[in-house]
Amino acid sequence: MSLTALLALADSRLPAGGHAHSGGVEQAISAGLVTDPVSLAGFLRRRVGTAGSVAAGLAAAACAVVGRAVGGGAVAAGAAVPPSVAAALADLDAEADARTPSPAQRAASRQQGRGLLRVGRRAWPHPAWDALPTQPHHAVALGVAAAAAGARPADAAAAAAYLSMSGPATAAQRLLALDPITVAAVTARLSPLVDEVAGAAARAAAGPFGGLDLLPASADPLLDLLAELHVSRKDRFFAS
Amino acid sequence: MVARAGPGGRTVLPVVRASGQLAVRRTGPVTVHLVATAFGPLGGDDAEVRLVVEPGAVLRVRSVAAAVVLPARGDSPPSAQRVLADVDGDLDLQLEPTVVAARAHHVATVTVRLGAGGELTLSEQVLLGRTGEQPGRWTGTTRVLRDGRPLLHTTLDLGPGAPTWAPPMAPRAYASTTRVRPGPGVGTATGVDAVRLPLPGGWVSTAWGDALDRVARADADLHPGSRPAAQPVLAGVPS
Repeated sequence: MSLTALLALADSRLPAGGHAHSGGVEQAISAGLVTDPVSLAGFLRRRVGTAGSVAAGLAAAACAVVGRAVGGGAVAAGAAVPPSVAAALADLDAEADARTPSPAQRAASRQQGRGLLRVGRRAWPHPAWDALPTQPHHAVALGVAAAAAGARPADAAAAAAYLSMSGPATAAQRLLALDPITVAAVTARLSPLVDEVAGAAARAAAGPFGGLDLLPASADPLLDLLAELHVSRKDRFFAS
Repeated sequence: MVARAGPGGRTVLPVVRASGQLAVRRTGPVTVHLVATAFGPLGGDDAEVRLVVEPGAVLRVRSVAAAVVLPARGDSPPSAQRVLADVDGDLDLQLEPTVVAARAHHVATVTVRLGAGGELTLSEQVLLGRTGEQPGRWTGTTRVLRDGRPLLHTTLDLGPGAPTWAPPMAPRAYASTTRVRPGPGVGTATGVDAVRLPLPGGWVSTAWGDALDRVARADADLHPGSRPAAQPVLAGVPS
């Protein structure tokens, strides 16, 4: 496996459009729920435990689908993926919809999925990109990117869980003008939780029974409510 | 339990079997009530409810009283309740609230497989802790499929020990309604500590807070066609 691939997937420098999204923290700040590093840590903990867990399971499953069918990493030019891969990725995309009933969060996920598809196709050419819907959920695209880059399902889960924390952390830092060193310390302290969530999600995706109903589905009605309130606003800095 | 369309809009129940903690009583032309035959459930208990609603049949499932989930002695294991429904007719499943006593952990799973013409109304009400005691823990999963395709799959984990049960959202009371049926689509609606989200051919509403009666009302206020409640669009979220 490629460790550098994992680092690249989790790098905020990857121009997949994630910087335009706050993962709900902009609305949480407006509602007075996030005001300082302590309340930010609480927000990030619930986001990793819900949205992060769901994304990690889907990303690991998508990575495994591609890896099983054609192998990860560089594949021979002109190699094709069997139609079963497109069907399996479409199933995962439907599972992502079912776990994301908030239209605002769905739209945010699909925008970022399309952004990742655009950059991933160029960065890690692989026939599996053609098996994705044109606007895939971000977690499903992330799993394909991981496979294309030569990473494992567990790496895809780790990147997904990490991104569920790093995106809102950066957005909160900008919106509240927090000390970057303090925010770095907040996210560093959450590392064990990110590892735990990613590990559990990867195990669920790799389980011996492998049913899609076993992938994590942790919901957070508060984040749903914040996302729907946010999208109705005219004065927002972030798309979500 | 199997529900089949009978003459005159009546639902016949060719199969009704119950054992252990639950009994079934027929209480109306299309209605049955689940009756608990013992206190509980208790930690370690495992209940399974299997429902089949055939095309054209209507089945309304209720319960006679709130279920109070109690811990077993010592280090109480979770209790489980699994509902699996295959619905080609119309299933309306609205049980009385589940009250989870301190130290108890109840794991509730509802899976509904809708056929092409299947319709669903599902409501759940949960209260963590009886009056004056610490909250228990409730982990609830709802999975609804239409023709094998998932429409909704969410797991909510509430109470001490749940990783995301922390301020600003650590409610003692929770109510949710899921409805899937043909008709005009409905959009999103928000309340104070309540939100309704669209589903393909339906919607799901959720409300949370400290008192179950208020939370149940906040949930009902978001149902399409309910009298318009005060719904400030940018209300402060925590209560």
